[in-house]
Amino acid sequence: MRLERELACNEIVELVTAYLEDALTPTDRERFEEHLVFCDGCGTYLEQMRATIQLTGRLDDRLEPELEQRLLEAFRGWQTG
Amino acid sequence: MIAYKFLDAGGLGPFTGFPWPVGEWVEAPRADPCRQGVHACRVRDLPLWLGDELWEIELAGDVIPQERKVVAVRGRLTRRVDAWTPDAAREFGRYCARRTRERVGFLPVLSGFVGDVDRFVAAGRIPIAGFAAARAAELRDGAGGYEQERLAQASWLAGRLGLDERLL
Repeated sequence: MRLERELACNEIVELVTAYLEDALTPTDRERFEEHLVFCDGCGTYLEQMRATIQLTGRLDDRLEPELEQRLLEAFRGWQTG
Repeated sequence: MIAYKFLDAGGLGPFTGFPWPVGEWVEAPRADPCRQGVHACRVRDLPLWLGDELWEIELAGDVIPQERKVVAVRGRLTRRVDAWTPDAAREFGRYCARRTRERVGFLPVLSGFVGDVDRFVAAGRIPIAGFAAARAAELRDGAGGYEQERLAQASWLAGRLGLDERLL
């Protein structure tokens, strides 16, 4: 039995992206943050997600043309068996 | 309106990382619960939002009361509640453990909460000790048990920290 308003850790994991994108309803956001107050594991998970997003946001997604060509060829080869 | 606010160590907002200045008004474009505005606690909300530092905060402008918090357009930290220390937090944890033992210590299955809360307190995980105590109460007494336990915790905090219980 769980309180109606209570979120479990697996639900927090599912909602973490929406939380970071500010896409939760106010009620769900409050429930999410209430959970964070007492759940160290979910707090750590949220911080890891924040750090990952920050780091990947800094990555340069452009590849050298030669490397891009080699990767494309490798993927084509993989698709055709 | 006078309310309270828990902050992370160093005076940082626990969810936003906002560095709260002391004595200066902080203003939001509007009070929009969980999105914008200054979020704070009445005394009865305190057990749900425990943190490293406890501050008294003056709220002004539109203040929206919510079930578990209040949200205002403006707020300023007026003083730190110095009585909220790691020792006081541990004492609070022991209070939760004692309440849990009294409530469910003699009941099959539910008595498992006693050991859980004791372990949380020993590990310094005070917020979850308070939560588990309230959960044990809820499992014994129904939905009202949770709220009743949280109110008892708030009342204990008010007494121990010298807060104005009229704000309960």
